[in-house]
Amino acid sequence: MPGLAPGDSAGGVPDSVNGTLVPYSSDSHVSAIYPLRHGLNPPISRVSVSWGRGNSLRVSVFRQPDSDPKSDGEAGGKVVEVTLGKSRDGEISDAQWRKIAYGSVSPFALLQSRKNSTASLSRMQLSPSPYHLEWWEYVMEYSKDIGSLLGDPKTALATLIEDPNEVFPKKVEEPSSLKAAWELMEMFYVDKLSQAWLPERLVDWLADYNSLISIDLPTVHSKLVEFQNQIVTLQVIEDDPRYWDLISSALAVGWLEIVVKLLRLHGSYRLDQLGRRETENGLVEAVAVLISKMPRMRPAIDAGKIGECFKAKPDFVKAWERWRAQITKLDSSAFWIQCDHRQTREGLKNMLQIMLGNVDVLCSSTCHWMELYISHFLYIRPFTAGLESMYSLAQKCFRLKHTSNPHKLMRLMIGILGENNEVVLAECSRGFGTWMVAHAIELLTAGSNEADILVHEEREDLGGISLEELHRLVYAQLLSSHLLTWQIAPIYLTSCMRQGMGLLEILLLKQPVQENQMLLKNLEICRLYELDGISSHLMEISGMYHWKHGRKGCAVFWLQQAHDEVRLSGIASQLFDSVGKSISGESFKQWEGLIELLGSEGQLAGGLDFLHKYRDFKKCLQHAESRKDADAARQAVESLMSLMRNASTPQRFWLPILYDAVKLLSWDEGPLINVGQTNLLLNKLQELSVARLRPDFVEAELPTQALNHVRYSLATNLGRAILGEL
Amino acid sequence: MAVIGIPQTQIHRLSQSKYVDSIRWLPSVSPLQQSAIVAFFDTDADSPSLEVHSLDQESKTLDLISSWVPPSRISSLKCTQAFAVASTISGSLHVFSATEAQDPSSAFRSVVAADGKGFHVGRIAGVDLMDGGSNECVSVGEDGRVNLVRVLDGSYRKVFDGNGLVSYTAVKWASPTEFVTGGCGFGLQWWDLRRPGSAVAQFKGNLEKGRTSGIIHSIDVHPSRKHTCLAGGSAGTVFAWDLRYQHQPIILSGTSNDTAAQPLSESEVWEVQYDSYTKSSMNNFSSSKLLPAMFCSEDGILGVIDQGEEPTELLAEPCAINSFDIDRQNPSEVICSLEWESIAIVSRP
Repeated sequence: MPGLAPGDSAGGVPDSVNGTLVPYSSDSHVSAIYPLRHGLNPPISRVSVSWGRGNSLRVSVFRQPDSDPKSDGEAGGKVVEVTLGKSRDGEISDAQWRKIAYGSVSPFALLQSRKNSTASLSRMQLSPSPYHLEWWEYVMEYSKDIGSLLGDPKTALATLIEDPNEVFPKKVEEPSSLKAAWELMEMFYVDKLSQAWLPERLVDWLADYNSLISIDLPTVHSKLVEFQNQIVTLQVIEDDPRYWDLISSALAVGWLEIVVKLLRLHGSYRLDQLGRRETENGLVEAVAVLISKMPRMRPAIDAGKIGECFKAKPDFVKAWERWRAQITKLDSSAFWIQCDHRQTREGLKNMLQIMLGNVDVLCSSTCHWMELYISHFLYIRPFTAGLESMYSLAQKCFRLKHTSNPHKLMRLMIGILGENNEVVLAECSRGFGTWMVAHAIELLTAGSNEADILVHEEREDLGGISLEELHRLVYAQLLSSHLLTWQIAPIYLTSCMRQGMGLLEILLLKQPVQENQMLLKNLEICRLYELDGISSHLMEISGMYHWKHGRKGCAVFWLQQAHDEVRLSGIASQLFDSVGKSISGESFKQWEGLIELLGSEGQLAGGLDFLHKYRDFKKCLQHAESRKDADAARQAVESLMSLMRNASTPQRFWLPILYDAVKLLSWDEGPLINVGQTNLLLNKLQELSVARLRPDFVEAELPTQALNHVRYSLATNLGRAILGEL
Repeated sequence: MAVIGIPQTQIHRLSQSKYVDSIRWLPSVSPLQQSAIVAFFDTDADSPSLEVHSLDQESKTLDLISSWVPPSRISSLKCTQAFAVASTISGSLHVFSATEAQDPSSAFRSVVAADGKGFHVGRIAGVDLMDGGSNECVSVGEDGRVNLVRVLDGSYRKVFDGNGLVSYTAVKWASPTEFVTGGCGFGLQWWDLRRPGSAVAQFKGNLEKGRTSGIIHSIDVHPSRKHTCLAGGSAGTVFAWDLRYQHQPIILSGTSNDTAAQPLSESEVWEVQYDSYTKSSMNNFSSSKLLPAMFCSEDGILGVIDQGEEPTELLAEPCAINSFDIDRQNPSEVICSLEWESIAIVSRP
C-alpha cells in the first residue's frame, strides 16, 4: 500500500513521503502564460473562469456596470476561450486527426453491426452460409479501410528510372508511425494469408518505415539519404568506402533494387573505362545478376522490386540451394585475383558474405537491431515461423544492437513478438493515443481467444466494464471534447454496453443549444437512439434560452415541441395578469401575439379559450374607443356577453371585465346593451358580491371605487335601455 | 435491364480541414472557368473566412482565388448573376460583386455592408437576392425582422418587425415585389411589397394531424411558377404550397404514413432547390404537376424528388450534407458541403 499516509511504514516508497498517490515531477510547476484578447476597455471589474470544451478554459470578463449611459455601444463583458497546453504530438495535425476520426466511423460501425449479426446467428445456432466470410476476413476489410485513412507511404517508383542519380525513391508522403503500427497489428493479428511469409512482410514493412524506427541513432535509410545528397559531388564512386558500406547495408536489409542500382553506378560501367576494367565489371555485373535472382518466399512482389518469388516451400528450398551454390561458386572464382581494384574486390566479397549469411558481416552492415533482425530472415533463417522463434531471434538481435531508448514502434513490436497482449494494448495507448487503442482492439481480438477474453472480461477495478469498453469510452471522451467531432462520439458510446448510454445522455445534455441548427443536429442524435426524454429536455432548455433573449416565438415553439405544460402554463398565467389593465400600443401587440402563439392546444385549452375571447373583446373595445365606431362597439358587446355567459371565464376576472365594459355602458350614442343583457350582467355582479364574502376570494387589482362605478353604470344603462325599448 | 456504357455519376470528395458553413457556385465569367464561393470556419484558429475557389475541371480540385474575413461566421449565402450576398450570425450583411470575386487581381471585399442595432439583432437566418429583380436584398432573422437592403448603396428599410414573436428561418424572392418567408411550426408567409404592413398570405403549418411540427430551413420558387413555393424542413419534410390552394399543401416527402413512397430521409432537410437537370417524366406531364426538386439532409442524403415518382438518391454520405447548390449554367454539376469538413462535387452524366 504505497503512499496512503506519509511515512506510514519503515520501508515506505519514496513517493509516500509527500503523501501523494501519483508521483509527479516538479517540472509541472512551471507556470504558463496565456494572453487574453478580450478587447474590452478598462476598468475590468470581474473575471470568472470555468471549464469549456476539452482542455479549454472559458474566461468571462466583465466591465464595470455602465454608469454612463452615453458610452452606449460597448459590450458590458466578453467570454473568451483559452486552450491550455499543446495538443498531441507534432506528427499528425489536429485537422488530420479529425479526418482520421471521421473516416474511421463507417468501418467501425460496419464491423460492429457485422459482429452483432454474427453473434445473433451463432446464438440461434444457425450455421453460417457457405458464402459467409470468415470473421478475420471482415476484420481484414475493416483494417484495410482504416489503413487507407492513415496515408499511403508507397514509394513513387517513377523516379527510379527517370533520374539516374536518384538512388533512393522519393516517398510520396512522409510515412507516419501510426500507419506503421497499424500495419504491424494487421500483419500479425489479422491477415491469415500472410502468416506463411511473415518474414517477407516484415522486410517490406521495414522498407516502408525504416526512417521511423530510430529516434537518435542512424539507420540504413538515414545513411542512404545522406549519401544520396553527396552522390553528385563524387568523381570516382567506387573509391569511396561509404559507397561499399552503403551497398552492404542496403543488401543486408533486402533493398535489392537499390543495391543493383548503386552497383550500376560503378565506374567500370563507364564506356571509356569498360575496356580497361573488363574483369572488374564482369564481377560487379555477376553480383548484380545474382542479387536480382534472389529467391524469395512470397506470393508476389511489387512492380519495380526484384527477386524471384516462390509460393511453395519445396520449390523455394530448391531455388535457394541453387542460388547459394552459385554464390559459393562465384566466391571461389579465379577472377577475383585478376580484379586489381581493391575496394571493389573487398566490397563485392563482403556482399557475397552477406548473401551467404555471415552473422558478423550482417551485424556490422546494419545499424538498428530491427535491421539486423530482418537480415537474419533474409539470409540466415528464411524459414523462421511461429512467434516463439521469431521472438527469441528478436531478443538475440536486440542484445547485439542494444538501444537505451527504443522507439514506440519497436516497443510495440517487442510486445507483439512476445505475445503479450496487455503490453501491446498498453503500447498502443501510450505510443499512439486513444484512437489507436480503441480501433486496434478489433485487430488484436480478430483471431485470438486469449486476447478476446482479456479485452472483454468485465473488471471489478474498472467498475465492472471491460477493457474494450474502457478504451472506447476514453476515445469517445476525446471526441466529445471538440466542437466538430462530438457528433461521432455517440457511435462509440452506443457500442459500450454498460456506461455508454449514460455518458451519451450526459454528452447530449452538455451540448450548447443556442443555435437552432446545433440543437436540431443534437435532436437528430436523440431520435436515432430513441432518447425522447433527453430530446424534450434539450428543447426545454433551448426554449428558455430563446425566451430570455426575447425570441418568444421560437421559445413557445420549442416549449410546445417539448410538451412542457408547466412552463407554457406559466407563460399563459403571466398573460392573465394583464386582464383588466389598460394595455395599449406595443405591449398590447406583444400580449396579443403571445396568445396567438400559445394556440389552443393541450391542457391549457380552457384558460386559453378565455384569453382568446378576452383578446377579441379587448381588440373591439380598442377599435370602438379609438374610432368611435358603433359597429366595433356592438361587436365588443357581443364579445362581452359571450365572455360573461361562458362558464370557463374565471370568476376573478368578472369585475375587471365589467370595469373594462364601463365605456360600453356609457356609450354616448345611446344604450348598446339591452335590458336582458344588463340583467345578466347585474346578476353576475350580485354573484360576485356574495363570493367576495368567502375568505379565499382574491381581489382584482382595481381602483377601490371600481365596484361602485360598475354598479352605477349598469344601473344607468338599465334605465337607458328600458327607456330605449319602450 | 443493364445498359452497358452509360456514363456514371461522378463524385469527388475534397477534404478541407475546416468546417464548411455554406457553399454556392458563382456565375462563370468565362466558359472554361467554374468557381465556387465557400464560407469556412476554422475551429483550430476559431476564425471564419469567405473564400472564392476555382474548380479545376480535370482533376476536380479547388484552387483558392481570393479570401475575405467576415466579422463572424456566415449564416446564409446566396449568389445571383451579378452579386454574392452573405449574412453573419452576428447580424451583418455583406454584398460582393460576383465578377470581381473571381478576379485574382482585384481585392475581394464587400461592396456594400449593412449592420447595426436597427438592422438585425443576432443571427440573420436567411438572405435572398433576385436576378433581374429590384436589386434589393431581403434578409430575415430569428429576431422576427424582415429588412430590405439596397444593393447599390447599402441603405436598408424595415418591412416588418415581429419583435421576437415570430422567428424567420428562410426567405426567397418570388417576383420583384413578392417574397416568401418560413419559420417555426412549418409556417410560411407570403409578402407583397405593394401591400406593406403584414404578410398577405400565411400558411400555419398544419400539414397533417398528428405530425410533429418543425422548422422550415429552405424555400425555393421557380421563376415559371411564381404562385407555388417549395419548402423543406424538419422530419424529412418537403412540401409545396400553392397560393391558389392555400389550405392544401402538397407533401412531396415526409414521415407520414400515407405517402406511398418511402421517404429518402427522416431527418432535417437543410436545403431544397428546383432541379432543372432532372426532366420530369413526360407521360403524366401537366402544368399542375410540380417540377422535380433536389434536397439535402442531416442524415447524409442528396436526392431528387419528382412528384408521383420514386425519389432518387444521388449521394448517401455517412455524415450530414448541410448545403448544396446546382450550377445554373451547367445544371448537371452539384456542389455540396459535408459535415465532416469536406466538399463533394457531383457530376451527373
